[in-house]
Amino acid sequence: MQPVARLSGVSHRYGAVTALDAVSLEIPAGVMAGLIGPDGVGKSSLLALVAGVRRGQAGAVEVLGGPMAERHHRAAVAPRIAYMPQGLGRNLYPTLSVVENLQFFGRLFGQSAAERDARIAMLLDATDLAPFPDRPAGKLSGGMKQKLGLCAALIHDPDLLILDEPTTGVDPLSRRQFWELIARVRATRPGMSVLTATAYMEEADRFDWIAAMEAGRVIATGSPADLRARTGAASLEEAFVALLPAAVRAGHAAVPVLPRRDTGGRIAIEAEGLVKRFGAFTAVDHVGFSIPEGEIFGFLGSNGCGKTTTMKMLTGLLDPTEGVTRLFGRELGRSDMTARLGIGYMSQAFSLYGELTVRQNLILHARLYGVAPERRLARLAEVMAEFDLAEVAEAMPESLPLGIRQRLQLAVAMIHEPPILILDEPTSGVDPVARDGFWAVLMRLSREKGVTIFISTHFMNEAARCDRISLMHAGRVLEVGTPAEIVTRRGADSLEAAFIAALEAEAESVESGADVPVPAPGPPRGRLSAALTRAYAYSWRETLELARDPIRLFFALLGPVILMLAMGFGISFDVDRLSFAVMDQDQSAESRRLTEGFSAIPQFGETAPFASPTELQTRMGLGGVTLALDIPEGFGRDLHRGDVPEIGLTFDGAMPFRAQTAQGYALGVLQDFTEKIAAEEGIGTTSKVGFETRYLFNQAFESANAMVPSVLMLILMLVPAVMAAVSVVREKETGTIANFHATPVSRIEFLLGKQLPYLALAWVSFWVLIALGVTVFAVPLSGSLAALAFAALVYVTATTGFGQLISAFTRTQVAAVFATAVVAIIPTVNFSGLVVPVSSLGEGGRIFGLAFPGAWFQPVSVGAFLKGFGWPEALSAAAVLGVFALGYLALAILSLPKQER
Amino acid sequence: MRSLRNILWLTGKELRAIRGDRVMLVLIAYVFTLAVWLVSDAASTEVDHLATAVVDEDRSQLSARLTDAIRPPLFAEPVPMTAPEAAAAQRAGKAILVLTIPPDFERDLHAGHQTTLQILVDATAVAQAGNGASFLRQTLAQELSAALAPRAVSSDPVTVVFRNAFNPNLTSSWFSAVMQLMNNVTILMLILSGASMIREREHGTIEHVLVMPVRPHEIVAAKILASGAVILAASLFSLVVVVEGAMGVPVAGSLALYAGGAAIYVVAVASLGLLLASFTRTMGQFGLLVIPVIVLMILLSGGMTPLESMPDWLQVLMRTVSPATHFVIFAQAVLYRGAGLELVWPEMAMMAGMATVAVTIVLARFRKVLAG
Repeated sequence: MQPVARLSGVSHRYGAVTALDAVSLEIPAGVMAGLIGPDGVGKSSLLALVAGVRRGQAGAVEVLGGPMAERHHRAAVAPRIAYMPQGLGRNLYPTLSVVENLQFFGRLFGQSAAERDARIAMLLDATDLAPFPDRPAGKLSGGMKQKLGLCAALIHDPDLLILDEPTTGVDPLSRRQFWELIARVRATRPGMSVLTATAYMEEADRFDWIAAMEAGRVIATGSPADLRARTGAASLEEAFVALLPAAVRAGHAAVPVLPRRDTGGRIAIEAEGLVKRFGAFTAVDHVGFSIPEGEIFGFLGSNGCGKTTTMKMLTGLLDPTEGVTRLFGRELGRSDMTARLGIGYMSQAFSLYGELTVRQNLILHARLYGVAPERRLARLAEVMAEFDLAEVAEAMPESLPLGIRQRLQLAVAMIHEPPILILDEPTSGVDPVARDGFWAVLMRLSREKGVTIFISTHFMNEAARCDRISLMHAGRVLEVGTPAEIVTRRGADSLEAAFIAALEAEAESVESGADVPVPAPGPPRGRLSAALTRAYAYSWRETLELARDPIRLFFALLGPVILMLAMGFGISFDVDRLSFAVMDQDQSAESRRLTEGFSAIPQFGETAPFASPTELQTRMGLGGVTLALDIPEGFGRDLHRGDVPEIGLTFDGAMPFRAQTAQGYALGVLQDFTEKIAAEEGIGTTSKVGFETRYLFNQAFESANAMVPSVLMLILMLVPAVMAAVSVVREKETGTIANFHATPVSRIEFLLGKQLPYLALAWVSFWVLIALGVTVFAVPLSGSLAALAFAALVYVTATTGFGQLISAFTRTQVAAVFATAVVAIIPTVNFSGLVVPVSSLGEGGRIFGLAFPGAWFQPVSVGAFLKGFGWPEALSAAAVLGVFALGYLALAILSLPKQER
Repeated sequence: MRSLRNILWLTGKELRAIRGDRVMLVLIAYVFTLAVWLVSDAASTEVDHLATAVVDEDRSQLSARLTDAIRPPLFAEPVPMTAPEAAAAQRAGKAILVLTIPPDFERDLHAGHQTTLQILVDATAVAQAGNGASFLRQTLAQELSAALAPRAVSSDPVTVVFRNAFNPNLTSSWFSAVMQLMNNVTILMLILSGASMIREREHGTIEHVLVMPVRPHEIVAAKILASGAVILAASLFSLVVVVEGAMGVPVAGSLALYAGGAAIYVVAVASLGLLLASFTRTMGQFGLLVIPVIVLMILLSGGMTPLESMPDWLQVLMRTVSPATHFVIFAQAVLYRGAGLELVWPEMAMMAGMATVAVTIVLARFRKVLAG
């Protein structure tokens, strides 16, 4: 039989790191194939290459009978491959419900509504998800998320199912259900090939064929029985360790289970009736236990059963709703600083500072935990030795393998030598060798130093090493006792079976065991209708997600309104009541007449006169006077005599625009004054030239009239662009972009589908802003509203396209937001006619401005409001804006790779 | 004492974090050097190269002389047009001012008849049109009196001495460079302090810090101190080296006083950044929230358009909630007008008050936010 995938000489590097090193491998078809090995050996890269979501670098990858390097082959086999990336529910959309998620995937494969509904109903039935069709994916437990992910992968009857660590971090019961589900699917579709990476050796033991990997290479292939026989090991885990190169294996030793020393029976941790409610939901329901000093207490339970919440209450991180915790007999209070000195805590996710080196992290924590300065260096050395960190002391934690990072976390938790350690799934995702090393340290701490250890885990072999364990489910403790006691009590043959039995007794829904019937594939659909369905899948999903995200919705809908109000009222060039002050040293009728000339016009507001230049200095220094008038003694006398008196006008030049405006008005007042005097005295030439100044388009000369249409241009650039940019980058950040890489959706379908909701939203904003302009700011709308609305529609198509283009280059949401804002705001504010008319710009500025859509829309917007623009002007601008829109789309398509690099 | 030591160590950690963020460092360097210089020359509200068209229906020596008087830098070289051309150009936004010189203008004038020059203003260019029209009128009036009475030394009964305090030539970049600097302080401070909080939440490190014997106020203080110190130092560097040094903008007042006020401002804005961060879960959300805030703070600070031009209610509102308005008043008074502490202390007190309120709210929300 043809292998389902064949790799020859495949290498893959990320920068300086080699993920795959000349791997040649044939993966058999129609079987359960598995990849095993520690994390960071290249399992995920290999799967991504086989799935076609990552672009190959060197070597040939052939899948389903053709080379994955060829675009046509990829497109042809994409509908036959299903890929489920690593991480719980990583390719699911947390705010979408179970059914909505599946609808989305069904559409991505171009299925018709009837076919989708039939398939979804059957899959939900088979996976026991049927009771919760409307629950958001983010609210599902880890095991249910993985089942839903599997449904999503199976919705199109793939021939090759690729699962990347589907059960990591999932509790034993959910794990077993997951594999049963796969077995049933395979029973109905015997031809299907399954390729899985896993860290659980007991799972891999049930596969038909496995490849063991180490450091980017395949070190052995064959059936589990083969590998065990070859190494003479009893379990696959031991076989794997035996297969490792000697150098790697050297550090490994079986974890010695040492007997616990009697420490006099002091109780280290005592919890009584702990309850934690979040709103109506009871996460922890009357949990209590008492743990003697030096015990290793294992804490087991299904995903989301309240383990983490309980542990947070024990550390004082969360305040319980009811109940008390005592540590060595002392009640734990709120923000209890002394109690914290007695606890070492390690949370589920890596939570040390990535920007500090290993040594710096240790020093910082030593300081914060108040390790005495003279003891600090010694303690540092001790910890480095004990946790084997000396070699990586200067390394950044991010660059270390997970196993070492977890050791570092433990070292940090132990830096102040606390008598109690609380560890929340410290070994999740860590490979067997590193896990054993970690446990050897725990054993030593407990047995030699008498440290009390409270640890939660999903690994049964780890649970078996604990002195006592407790089983938790749905906020309650089901069992407490030694592992052996629990096995006996449940009448099971292993701890895992006992655990599953305990959980099954609790769970109301019994495994249905229904087969997964294969619905008949729908009638073949036209290419166009399938393409439209795929694009619509993205539009529909984007709309749902947006409607459920208050912050994005706030930004999209209220952001424009707030900006319009602020800018409409705030950016005002209407100058009135400019403060002016007089130093009238003449006190004559003429000097008073001149002063009155200033106070008579509304643009100036008179303030108290000043008595000396020093006083003026002070008042102007505070910004209290914009214009100062200095009339010398003898002003009136000189005027009548025909001598030319000299007056002084001082402006506050700190704000040039204001000074210039004040100058303009002052000149007018002075001209008026001198003309009258000249006429009365009969001196000089009275000018026969009159000036007629007419303000066109905005007779009242109101700032708001001109600013509102321009601000409309600015807001419709900024907000839609940022929203569109975030929409694509979000997927990169959350990992759901994998669906774009792994399904038949094309780049143009993806981009247009995602653009549509934002386009519609932006156009709604346009109407809201128009309403605001006409009502609140009373801007007359003299031209054609329909023409303006049409131009605006094309304009927002261009601006959302611009955002998508930016998103092709950015990796994080924050980079997308700021890059879009910076790139969009500078030309729009400075070179698009918002403040400076485009006609007054220099050549460079004008060209720069016209290279963005804003400068083309602004004249239409202003024109339609104030200059009576109609369809001809709107259409010619819309044509240019249309070119922008198409250009942005084309560039975005070119810059958005369909495969990961 | 222990609290102070904790703050000190956490501040050191925060500074390392900033040092490790290459993108942020590049952004800070760019914004405080090149950007200050670039943007200060870009948009200005002053009359500058205003596009002007002249409809000369007189075609006389005098009309030609008047046309020649319209010159850069205030106006762009005037373009001669016919009346319909000018109307179209104005409608299309290609000409802001249109001067129409009527037929027989010179002859009527010499004959002693009253004549009228018409100036049509595109009032949609509100920032420049008003001042532009009045400058055009002024220019033409001067040119006319010079042309008609060449021998009269002064035909005016009064001589006016104009003086612009603090900025004799009303150089716009003096103003905009410093305002740009202040805008940059606002933008980066909000982002930097907010990001420092959200980064910890996204990475789960804040939870880790909370189980340590460290109090929330120590964490908050360390974040404000570290990000504030970086931005303060960068802005002082920019003021002295870029604005004063490279661009030659004279700085009138005491640098020490400015630094004091800027330090208060930086603390106030950092607290505001932390407050905003407490309402969001991810950097993406924070970005969406912070952008409108930045735009509002900057536009309505009084640094772009005069505060007194805004409606009274808006002025009162901004003075109550935004430290930026006070900082602009403070900075203008100190940097341009050389004001001393006795003049600006009320503004400093207002900024300090706002900082206190923001920090109080952040601390009150701290546990609740991080727990949820």
